[in-house]
Amino acid sequence: MLMAPDQVVRVDELSRHFGDKIAVDRVSFDIARSEVFGFLGPNGAGKTTTIKMLTTLLPSTSGRATVLGHDLKTEGRKIRAQIGVVQQQDSFDQGLNVETSMDLYGLIWNVPKAERRRRIDELIGHFEMQEFRKMPTVDLSAGQRRRLQVAREFIHDMDLLFLDEPTVGLDPIVRRSVLDYLKERVRQGLTIFFTTHILEEAEYLCNRIAVINQGRIVQIDTPENLKRRFGSAKAVEFKLLQGTSSEMASALSSSASVSRFGRDEGSGAYRVTTTRPESVIPEIYRLADRLNLTVSSIYISETTLEDAFINLVTEDEKAVANGGRAS
Amino acid sequence: MNIYLRLVYRNIRANLDRASLFFELIFPLFFIFVQGFGLNGIVPPFDVGNGRVISYSLFLAAGAVTLTVINGGTNAGTQLWFDRKNGMFEQLLMGPFTRAQYILSIIFATLIIGVAGSLLVFGFAFPVLGASFAPTWEGALLIAGALFLGTMFFGAFAIALSVVLKSSETFQIVSTFAFFIFLFTSSVFFPASAAPSAIQAASLANPLTYTTDIFRAGLFNAVTPTVSLELGVLAIEAVAMFVIAVFAFRRIRV
Repeated sequence: MLMAPDQVVRVDELSRHFGDKIAVDRVSFDIARSEVFGFLGPNGAGKTTTIKMLTTLLPSTSGRATVLGHDLKTEGRKIRAQIGVVQQQDSFDQGLNVETSMDLYGLIWNVPKAERRRRIDELIGHFEMQEFRKMPTVDLSAGQRRRLQVAREFIHDMDLLFLDEPTVGLDPIVRRSVLDYLKERVRQGLTIFFTTHILEEAEYLCNRIAVINQGRIVQIDTPENLKRRFGSAKAVEFKLLQGTSSEMASALSSSASVSRFGRDEGSGAYRVTTTRPESVIPEIYRLADRLNLTVSSIYISETTLEDAFINLVTEDEKAVANGGRAS
Repeated sequence: MNIYLRLVYRNIRANLDRASLFFELIFPLFFIFVQGFGLNGIVPPFDVGNGRVISYSLFLAAGAVTLTVINGGTNAGTQLWFDRKNGMFEQLLMGPFTRAQYILSIIFATLIIGVAGSLLVFGFAFPVLGASFAPTWEGALLIAGALFLGTMFFGAFAIALSVVLKSSETFQIVSTFAFFIFLFTSSVFFPASAAPSAIQAASLANPLTYTTDIFRAGLFNAVTPTVSLELGVLAIEAVAMFVIAVFAFRRIRV
């Protein structure tokens, strides 16, 4: 399988079955160098199984992949020597404290002692672990242990990092600092394969996102394009200085660009649901002008990646239920 | 540093706590000094082979040293259990190692603990017992072979057991029970030839019998023609159990 020079991962029709159950179904994608590739999907969609295959922990049932130029089936050890993995589940050495645990992890990766010491100090600072650097790992809170797990992975060199829901249990401030650290490492040349359920962080970090559902990739695109293409209809809310206008209501209700029209009795605001706010907003102003009305306020609610994600997954599940999913 | 050295060091540092190692050493010493001295007055000295007659306390002391082999074996299963329970098993398998290197590193760590434990118990107990030895190269090789093969068997046995059993609590209970069976159907506490026929038959399949017999033969310079046969049987059992452990290990679902 040929890879472009800047391609780090190339996956072609990769599948994994567990008996009759298809956990991952012919997924294909590629990841470029210094890219953060997001992998989003509901629980049980096949995200972790895909990571386990790409990190050589699980053999694939069919399909091919190359990771960092090495064949997944025949060059597992070469792949493992160049990657880092932060698993979804906890992983820690229970008999050690934070610092020793990081040191021992560096040792098994053959990082020289002086370099280990330097990196441990740096990582403890970056991940704000000074308070508990001497604490036994068994006594750490879930969030502290998670921080250790992410920090520990940076003790060794790697070209590609797999992060399987790395920020679970972290408070927003620490989460943001972890994401910023990851961004910094990406700027230095690291490539990241990233799964999360927190869509804001996927949007913050990822260059491209693959949405996976029931083992199949439903869509791959940039976060912006996913929002644009699959975001739900937007809500345009506006108020008239004059309060109400039956003519305005009638005109907007019959507009082709408007999918729903209503009025909030409490706030007195009209609410227009549309997939084309860029047409609807000028239309509101044109109507107001024609009807001698004044628009006192108008705003549009932003489409989120979560909207796009929910739409994509819901549509895919409908297609699966109707047997209409493309094979 | 060599990959095995790194993994073995990590296994010993991360998974073995000092308190349990301490009690693993106390356990055989308790047998040696309490049971050994207690029964020494009522059990007459006897021939361990090649015309070598020793007291019961020395007989038991040699048997109790090989108990550390079983303790080392339990450690192998415990190491694997901790790694699985704490997520380090998968983490290490996604590192720059092979599965074979990982399992061998557990066996090597077990060997170090088993052999070092035996030497410590030996070094502590035998001077107190006032025993004198005339060490030979043949005896030293037999002792080393017995400790190596015995630890390998029980380490592999504990690994296989820890793969099959679903919780660490069950592993602790079952392994303790299994090791008591090995212990009381072996020649650690009494010569198997003097036991009832059922225990005699069981002792013939028991690797701890061979470990202990070979160790005693090497230690007391009591080598008989049957010792080389016992060494062969122990080697076959150790290799067979290692193969079973490797197959069991490959079945672990990740």
